[in-house]
Amino acid sequence: MTRESVIATAGLTKRFGRITAVDSVDLDVREGDVYGFLGANGSGKTTTVRMLLGLVLATSGQMEVLGQPMPSNWRDVLPRVGAMVEGSAAYPHLSGRRNLALIDAAGPGGQRADRKSRIAEALERVGLLAVDDRPVRAYSLGMRQRLGLAGALLRRPRLLVLDEPTNGLDPQGIQEIRKLLLDLNRTGTTVFLSSHLLTEIEQMCSRVGVLERGRLVLQAELADLRRATGRVEVRTPDVDLVRTLLDGVVEEYDATRLLVRESDPAGLNARLVRAGVRVTALAAEQRSLEDVVLEAAAASGDRFGGIP
Amino acid sequence: MRRWSVVVAGTLLLVAAIAGVHRLPAAESDVGAAELLRQVRGAEDHSWSGYIETEGALQLPDTDGFSDVGALFGERTTMRAWWHDGQHWRVAQLLLAGETDLIHRGDTTLRWDYERFDATLSRDPAIRLPRTADLVPPVLAARLLRGVDVDDVERIPAKRTAGVSAPGLRLVPPSDLSSIDHADVWLDPGSGVPLRVEVHADGADSPAFTSQFREFSSARPSTDEVSFEPPPGVEVGFDDVLDIADAANQYASVRPPDRVAGLERAASSDQAVGVYGRGMTEMIAIPIRDREADPLREQLAQTAGVDRSAERTAVSVGPLGVVLTGAAGEGGWLLAGTLTREALDRAADDVLADSVFLGDR
Amino acid sequence: MIRVELVKLVRNRRTWTTIAVIDALPVLVAVLLAVTDIGPRPGTGPAFLSAVLADGTLFPLAALGIVLPLFLPLAVAITAGEAIAGEAQQGTLRYLLIRPVGRTRLLVAKLVSIMAFVVLAVLVVAATAYLLGALLLGNESVSATGPASVSGSAMSTPELVGRTLLALGYAMLCMLGVAAVGLFLSTIARSPLGAALGTMALLVASTLLLTLDAADVLRAYLPTRYWLAFVDLFRDPILWRDVLRGVLLQLAYVVVFLGAAWANFMTKDVTD
Repeated sequence: MTRESVIATAGLTKRFGRITAVDSVDLDVREGDVYGFLGANGSGKTTTVRMLLGLVLATSGQMEVLGQPMPSNWRDVLPRVGAMVEGSAAYPHLSGRRNLALIDAAGPGGQRADRKSRIAEALERVGLLAVDDRPVRAYSLGMRQRLGLAGALLRRPRLLVLDEPTNGLDPQGIQEIRKLLLDLNRTGTTVFLSSHLLTEIEQMCSRVGVLERGRLVLQAELADLRRATGRVEVRTPDVDLVRTLLDGVVEEYDATRLLVRESDPAGLNARLVRAGVRVTALAAEQRSLEDVVLEAAAASGDRFGGIP
Repeated sequence: MRRWSVVVAGTLLLVAAIAGVHRLPAAESDVGAAELLRQVRGAEDHSWSGYIETEGALQLPDTDGFSDVGALFGERTTMRAWWHDGQHWRVAQLLLAGETDLIHRGDTTLRWDYERFDATLSRDPAIRLPRTADLVPPVLAARLLRGVDVDDVERIPAKRTAGVSAPGLRLVPPSDLSSIDHADVWLDPGSGVPLRVEVHADGADSPAFTSQFREFSSARPSTDEVSFEPPPGVEVGFDDVLDIADAANQYASVRPPDRVAGLERAASSDQAVGVYGRGMTEMIAIPIRDREADPLREQLAQTAGVDRSAERTAVSVGPLGVVLTGAAGEGGWLLAGTLTREALDRAADDVLADSVFLGDR
Repeated sequence: MIRVELVKLVRNRRTWTTIAVIDALPVLVAVLLAVTDIGPRPGTGPAFLSAVLADGTLFPLAALGIVLPLFLPLAVAITAGEAIAGEAQQGTLRYLLIRPVGRTRLLVAKLVSIMAFVVLAVLVVAATAYLLGALLLGNESVSATGPASVSGSAMSTPELVGRTLLALGYAMLCMLGVAAVGLFLSTIARSPLGAALGTMALLVASTLLLTLDAADVLRAYLPTRYWLAFVDLFRDPILWRDVLRGVLLQLAYVVVFLGAAWANFMTKDVTD
């Protein structure tokens, strides 16, 4: 783990009056990550994202984005960040193209000379190139979402911060966006993806952080989380036969399925087949992200005397 | 928080700067009262120009023929004036959406009214109602100073007026009949021209009338500034009769007595209207026909503190006393001036008793 | 950023609708005057309106007098109220700040854009009024009287044009204070309408207090105090006193309220 740090926070905390929205969060995002920032609605995800971008000022704690302190160095940091926060937004009476041109012209580094081509490129990437000059007012929710994404991509950022980017997209659209993000990641863009959808994060991310009621209860490589549990799942009609055969290592079973503690699935399979067991399916058991998250959440509840 | 304190400090600074400009302390002068009196008397023919504000607290009844006077004594008036000499001056009353200019030349006065788009020339009658040009500080002070002696004046602290520290002089009316408690005059230390005049009624804290320069120059204005050429297409009209006092003076067939309440009639009032006394103890008596007297009587009756009997309606507004004789439906004498109520009543008795009816002409 | 704001202003149809609404009132007045030939009684009505029947070239000024007390400040209050609160409500504020546009820079650009709106509105009103004055009003007598200053001296045409331009410029400046207050409230209020209403409330209060003798101490600080001083530009000689004070007062309002907007906006959490 020697990759450069892209987002690093220490004790990041935000209080709105007496409510603590984000409580002492230590994020660690490395270059090249697709970081999944998972949390239920209201868990403080969006507030954290806004703090990273300098929209909301932290009550306490430090932040570094792209190696520089935020929000004090926003001038250097933000031009290299593309972001979409809580859905896209645009001037409804203008066309998508004009919206992009305006936002590009508003800040630094949006060279006028190649603006047109950059806009075309961004629109193409998100699948909006064919769109006509109708005002954004007439866009569908999915089109708006794509436009927002195009805005984030406009200056080829090193870090993409996306808050629920697939909201409002149809399954095909979600697929396209997923592919787009993975493509970008492959060419060196770090992606920080916040979502409340487990599956989305499970399918795309290399690293996960889980926010629960303002606290970061889990942060790890997805691969580590999903490491084999040391058990093998066996599906067979001959459950009883297997139980007698493997007495002592069967941990769970029901009518068609058993969980066996065994580190060598191939050897187990050979043994079972040799004993005449009809095996429908056999695989090493992996933890699902859902299990991990629920476990972590329960543990955090424990720690703070919430749920017993 | 640091940003807010910067903003708050800046705001306070600005507010203080605006307030401070008006509250700069005045430098005191050690000139004595007698010397100031000499200076102000000597400056009566001095030329000047400036921007003037007058403010009256006298709520006079509002009736036709007197409404301009009511506004003059009861409201705030702003003027610009250029005083070349007593014969050549221009006083422009500034209105929100226009202006009314008086341009004086010799013994005629031209009145320009922008809102009516109209220019009218008139002779200066011997008797007339007060107008804006009578209330500019130098003219008002000259009037108040008439009859005042060295024994009637004392020094008061200087006051910052029109950007200069003006030494102050208090005038106390020489006569017991006056309803004015005192009048204060502050003058330009350079030229001796009065810059600010305050008239105080008996027993009142704030002045009943204030007239002051906001900007002042003692340089002689050019003749251009005191002349008037009507714009092309405007015909200059001519007024035979300036106002209700002038009309009564010219046409009423009565002659008021030579002396009322112990006050002498002024030499200039030799027709139907009598002017008695001078300076701070002055009164005018105007004979009024029934159709003008009646509405005036009704208006007076509605004024706060009215004193009404069958034969007389009397009102005191600050130092100004007004008495109208006669019962409802009759004409009568209108007496107005800075006399005590008692003196005014005596004057009314004398006018009624001693005026001479000349018969229909 | 300023250029972007100007493009947004010009490309927004609402800008032009608002200007059209402002412009409609003097147009209506011109048509009514031309049809009925009944001017306001002397001393009543907005400045210069009674003179318009005789001299149509004064109508741009009369139009200014018509829109300056209410219509123009109302439009400025609404435009200024939109500035930050409108962007926030639309969600575009966060994208501008992420882009990144510095917050101070954004405020200044917004103020410039509001003032550009004022300039546009005043120029449109003056131009239409000039045309209407020439076409509908008093054209038969123009040659006979010629323009006269408020003080009654004759004015040459170049002089009239010059003073009219000065008056237009002054009227624009008078809106600076409204714009700054509106901008400040726009950084506080959640909705643009709230900011606009707050600004209007201040102006109404100011107008009311001006008529109250008891509020004498406050007079010098009231934003509407010197608005009608553009009439002074038509006196002879020009009376600069109130005009200068008016300009200084507006600048003071800009310093104070732009400063307050800045102080508030710099540390504001953008959560819309």
